[in-house]
Amino acid sequence: MSVAARVLVALILVAPAVVAQDARLAARLDRPTLVAVNAIVDSARVAKLPTAPLVDRALEGVAKGSDGPKIITAVQQLSVRMASAKRALGASATSDEIKAAAAALDAGISTHDLAQLRAASGKRQMTMPLSVLTDLVGRAVPIPTATTLVVQLARSGLKDPEFALFQRNVRADIDRGADPTVAATTRARGLVQRTGTGSKPSE
Amino acid sequence: MADEDDVMMRKIARELRNPVAVSSSFDARVMHAVRQLPRHARARLWSRLTTPRSVTVMPLSWGILAASLALFAALGAMHASADINRLKPYANALFPKNNAAKPDQRIQFVLVAPDAKKVSVVGDFNGWDASHVAYQAQHRGGGVWSVTAQVPVGHHRYSFVVDDSVWVADPTAPRVVDNDFGVANSTIFVQEQK
Amino acid sequence: MEGSSDAVIVSRVLRGDVDSFGVLVSRYRDRYARYAFHMLGNREDAEEALQDAFTRAYRSLARCEDPERFGAWLFRILINRCRTLGARRGRRARTFVVDEVAILEAAEEHPADRTAWREEIDRALERLRADQREAFVLKYVDEMGYDEMSQLTGVGVSALKMRVMRACERLRELLSEVHSG
Repeated sequence: MSVAARVLVALILVAPAVVAQDARLAARLDRPTLVAVNAIVDSARVAKLPTAPLVDRALEGVAKGSDGPKIITAVQQLSVRMASAKRALGASATSDEIKAAAAALDAGISTHDLAQLRAASGKRQMTMPLSVLTDLVGRAVPIPTATTLVVQLARSGLKDPEFALFQRNVRADIDRGADPTVAATTRARGLVQRTGTGSKPSE
Repeated sequence: MADEDDVMMRKIARELRNPVAVSSSFDARVMHAVRQLPRHARARLWSRLTTPRSVTVMPLSWGILAASLALFAALGAMHASADINRLKPYANALFPKNNAAKPDQRIQFVLVAPDAKKVSVVGDFNGWDASHVAYQAQHRGGGVWSVTAQVPVGHHRYSFVVDDSVWVADPTAPRVVDNDFGVANSTIFVQEQK
Repeated sequence: MEGSSDAVIVSRVLRGDVDSFGVLVSRYRDRYARYAFHMLGNREDAEEALQDAFTRAYRSLARCEDPERFGAWLFRILINRCRTLGARRGRRARTFVVDEVAILEAAEEHPADRTAWREEIDRALERLRADQREAFVLKYVDEMGYDEMSQLTGVGVSALKMRVMRACERLRELLSEVHSG
């Protein structure tokens, strides 16, 4: 039975009184889907996960013309990914970090990689490095290579604007026909040399 | 003679009908390539039905006019926000920690799409709803479309929608896959102007 | 989803469900990989032509007039891709990759004999004119009727019959040479 169907069956058996918690969802989802999505949002709230991304995900599904079961599955999968992300990043992870980490998990980056990046980033926010890592993987840089590069850059103390610049340069190189791995490695090498390799992350 | 020939042809045919296996990564490669293409979207929400067609999207570096526009980096570079929350993001009410204290930032979104008749920006900052006039891009000439919109501080997913039917990720922005809905989105990490 | 007809899946894809296109890919990939392999002579080229055909099909999916016959429409695209790629690579030496899985699964002859025989067929096939090879493969390997072949290739039925006949003659020549003496 699909995830969506299992959630629906569980809800029908429990038959809670459902109050629409978000007016936009109530306006855009059919009743069974609304019930299921609200239940997932409630569980996430109890688990101290960010709930806005779940609502947004449902609205995204509506805008993309998906049907109820697909929307329910997507919201449920996001909830699962956010829980994994939170475990990998630690209890102090911000909503943005959890969102970015959930996207990274969706791209195939592992919780082990997330933990590595956490360790390399020290106390610095991971949202930007995570976005860049996800982007590299999405542009066909193999996951181990991309992870190694981003962890190195994080460990060398690279700041968010520099991460942004790194991503833009790699993307431009790829657009001009460079091999993604070569582009990423070359650009990263230049940055690590500038900031100094292997330095401890600054507090 | 004819019988022998037939036998031979049948032998040849039988041999050639054996399956030919493709490499195990074939499906993944095809789907990866397909996901880079503009997505089909016969929308049920929008009242205007347009026929999905492929849209030419060019890298920003090709748009001569683009170079003359003040472009924001997809991540990081901000302009000072003018009015706070003119287009009050709905999601504020649902954040466990209230982010409404941080002002929205004005972000410029740019897309080079010479064939387009309409371009809008949708994302988790506007409920993925293309109908807000504040998120409709204006054509600046030369196939360059842009809109400056209020985006709350934080990590966001978004996409361009061309002609109300074709979803296009921002070519310049970091990308995320979407294995559930099947189209790559873009992300932007808006930080407060210090 | 896997049991749904092509038309149902096409309409899902057109509504934005990219993932469903994967069902069509797995539905048609093996059969058409075989065609591409026989036309182009090696797996790498065959996969390139096939991948190309799938992405083109996805891109112009809205123009597929009869989604119930998506397979035939895709096949037409692939046939053209193989023609283009074949012409471009005509001069390049072909490597013959014999499908080991098929060999191992074959019940009848000794594997070594089968490999040798298969190589001979592949080599003979490669020596046919491209249009004759195309007609032969569609008729004998894909087991199509001439009307269907005509729709797919844009070639008239009598021309197709002629090409198949010539292909058979040539194959007999090439393969009897090998076996005599």
